[in-house]
Amino acid sequence: MKKANADRSAIMEALEHAGGNRPGVARAVGDQTGIPEADVHGVATFYTLLAKPDVQVRVCQGLSCQLEGAARLLEDARLSGARVEAVSCLGQCDRAPAALDEHLEPVLTAPRGGVLPADPSLPIDLGGPDTSAYSALARAMAMGPDAVIAAIRESGLQGRGGAGFPAHVKWSGVRAGEGPRHLVVNADEGEPGTFKDREVMLRRPHKLLEGIAIAAHTVGADTAWIYIRGEFQPCRRALERALVEAKLDLDVRFVDGHGAYICGEETALLEAMEGRRGMPRLKPPFPTVQGLFGRPTLIHNVETLACVPSIVERGGAWFAGLGRGEPGTKLYCISGHVQRPGVYELPLGVTLDELVEVAGGYVGTPKAFSPGGASSGFLPMAHRDVPLAFKPLAALGSMLGSAGVVVLDDTVDMADAARWGQVFFEDETCGQCAPCRIGCSLQRRAVEDYRAHRDPAHLANVEAVHHEMDEGSICGLGMTASMPLLSAMRHFPEDFA
Amino acid sequence: MTPKITIDGQIVPFEPGETVLDVASRLGHAIPSLCHEPRLKPTGACRMCLVEVQGQRRLQPSCAWKAEDGAVVTTRNDRIDTHRRTLLSMYVADHALDADGLPVDQGGTGNRLRTHVKDLGTGPALEPLTAVRRDRDDSNPYVHFDPASCVVCGACVRYCDEVEAVSAISLIDRGRRTTIGTADQQGLLDSSCELCGGCIAVCPTGAMTEKPALGVPRDPEPTRTTCNFCGVGCQVDIHVRDGRISRVTSPPPGTTVNDGNLCVKGRFAMEFVHHPERLTSPMIRVDGELVPTTWDVALQTAARGLLGVKQRHGADALGFVSSSRCTGEENYLMQKLARAAFGTNNCHQCAAT
Ligand SMILES: Cc1cc2nc3c(=O)[nH]c(=O)nc-3n(C[C@H](O)[C@H](O)[C@H](O)COP(=O)(O)O)c2cc1C
Ligand code: SF4
Ligand code: SF4
Ligand code: SF4
Ligand code: FES
Repeated sequence: MKKANADRSAIMEALEHAGGNRPGVARAVGDQTGIPEADVHGVATFYTLLAKPDVQVRVCQGLSCQLEGAARLLEDARLSGARVEAVSCLGQCDRAPAALDEHLEPVLTAPRGGVLPADPSLPIDLGGPDTSAYSALARAMAMGPDAVIAAIRESGLQGRGGAGFPAHVKWSGVRAGEGPRHLVVNADEGEPGTFKDREVMLRRPHKLLEGIAIAAHTVGADTAWIYIRGEFQPCRRALERALVEAKLDLDVRFVDGHGAYICGEETALLEAMEGRRGMPRLKPPFPTVQGLFGRPTLIHNVETLACVPSIVERGGAWFAGLGRGEPGTKLYCISGHVQRPGVYELPLGVTLDELVEVAGGYVGTPKAFSPGGASSGFLPMAHRDVPLAFKPLAALGSMLGSAGVVVLDDTVDMADAARWGQVFFEDETCGQCAPCRIGCSLQRRAVEDYRAHRDPAHLANVEAVHHEMDEGSICGLGMTASMPLLSAMRHFPEDFA
Repeated sequence: MTPKITIDGQIVPFEPGETVLDVASRLGHAIPSLCHEPRLKPTGACRMCLVEVQGQRRLQPSCAWKAEDGAVVTTRNDRIDTHRRTLLSMYVADHALDADGLPVDQGGTGNRLRTHVKDLGTGPALEPLTAVRRDRDDSNPYVHFDPASCVVCGACVRYCDEVEAVSAISLIDRGRRTTIGTADQQGLLDSSCELCGGCIAVCPTGAMTEKPALGVPRDPEPTRTTCNFCGVGCQVDIHVRDGRISRVTSPPPGTTVNDGNLCVKGRFAMEFVHHPERLTSPMIRVDGELVPTTWDVALQTAARGLLGVKQRHGADALGFVSSSRCTGEENYLMQKLARAAFGTNNCHQCAAT
């Protein structure tokens, strides 16, 4: 049991300060914080950036980096004698293959990917100047909370973190709860193939801060917390600089992630913020009712909040009208076998061909694409004209997710692609619930055994295991963790014969 | 009006705060579970107890789902059966198995996973996975942990925190490697552990087992008695095998004063019973040597000695100390002996300070 008044959320920073999980650190941090040393060890061994101190090079093994030779880069790094770790997607898919140095700074030669040129008619407008006028905030204050929520409702804004849940429902819910309330910004972007929040933070930090200020003011949140991926140091610096310039009348705090994809899931994120292992909570209760430290909490993805200032300024109807079939524009990430990987803000509901045209065209002959991160699996080019939006992709058994679109050309063996996805999920499952913990291992073994022997018998139970992972898992990770293998088998039977 | 819930077509009243599992158990509708333990906050992690709640797209953990007025719950149908059997197949693929391919039973609390597999059957036959969980070198004499038969339900960790308030153990590592460990994987003797053995009592699979009784089957008819190590009066069940005590367990939670709990002494300190040096008759010293005698002789000898001291030096030269293993009644008699029979107030009980 923790000592009275012990501050559990302090152990992350203390662990970081002590250099991560080294012998004796759990006891020292336990003594310092009053949190039982076993708990400290449990936390230290959960987060990869804490569990393995002294790593000098972290080499990304995400899908887009694999397409650009990540395996070879890893091998070379190992041969160089450095202490090397293979890691999950680093959110640098536009300049694959990616790696980080010991200070978690990117060691990349390729420049960041493209964005559209400045265009003031776009809600986020990544290419535009990031002004710190905060005129939308002033307008929101003048309008009052009811009118702001009405505008959000009219805009049809759906959460951009992956689930597409209507934003205004959460705003109303949190506002109706009793204070103190919190706003949490989910900047833990980790879905393979996704790097849009990174670009928002680097290019439009004021836009994001303005969205944060409007949301906090509207729902009556006293504190805004930005939970930011530990591997995104440049983004944190950009936001900190902007925050100084902005002089907001709001308590804004940063919390670093420490290497765990699952902490992008909103309740795992809250657990991490509270100094625990990042294991998702049972829902209900939802965070809008019982979130951070048990208080009503509004959690939004970076992109969702970055849409807010334009909606307030130009109205909900205007935003809704920008989309095709579904409201608004969307930041599409595109990487893999295309000419100009990058983040392009396009009407929600463009097709793959339209997106790739903006990205300069295909490289080679396209064979497959992943529309929204590892959890969305793969689709064949036969679906190149499906609108890349929430409903149409769900109807195909896939999803828009985070809109991390990756294109694979016809040199790729889909069994390889499926394996990369299953390795990712086995590495990143929190391990709390059995369907996902055991299922992820079974699916990875199935595809690896198939690749080793080319015997489809190894794939006999993939469907049944997936069914149970979907049925029995606590959170979305387990429910979709079979998608890379399952979708590849479904749509590319020739690669699994 | 009392709130009512429909479970498998039966309309039943419930107390606010009860879970679906509580109500269903009361009705006699068995719901399999692993991580559920009535003394602990539910985590819903093992997923064994999922049921259908009308209006919910997903199956929900009955151990955590609160009964609501008007709710309609199904605890058994084809969907739930498929879920249970496939999940059991997956557990089996990740568990230490015996020669029959069933989850091992190490004695101790038994293995509910094994029982569920026998009762409910399994789904697809899955090749066993290779074990990757960290083990711990631990020389403590009482608590054995086998990572290969742990289902990572976390009941032991929650018990150690919520009931024992010790937090000597935690879930450690992540994903497939997740297991139970201590800070830096030191032995329990080097941790805050009090060796209460509660983690053993709540473990559904026997992954935590009494080290001295590893592999020894439970006594199907243990003897209920009162622990004699202190005056609390914990009830204990003494398991006997071949005429010797094999293990001590607590009666189920909610049935006796100790509510399923025991301390290190009650649970583990029974070696004295069969110890070769145990005194089995009173002794007196004759010419400096201890020799066995009868109670009559022993009591007379003690009385003579005590009265002698009183005669020579007065009653206050005597002092009476009773043991914390005595009951309240025995302590009362002890002070009566000191005050009424010998006439001194010099009496004390070792747990009084
Ligand atoms: C396994 C998993 C990973 C997730 N990762 C992220 C993430 O990296 N960033 C994010 O914003 N949302 C992520 N989410 C979604 C969040 O749980 C949550 O829905 C979202 O942050 C809510 O914000 P929104 O309404 O603005 O989308 C993830 C969900 C799951 C199940
Ligand atoms: S589904 Fe997977 S990631 Fe989610 S809680 Fe369960 S084990 Fe953790
Ligand atoms: S024996 Fe008791 S104190 Fe020790 S780990 Fe088990 S529950 Fe905790
Ligand atoms: S040791 Fe037992 S109680 Fe603890 S997590 Fe494993 S199965 Fe559960
Ligand atoms: S008993 Fe309900 S999830 Fe384990």
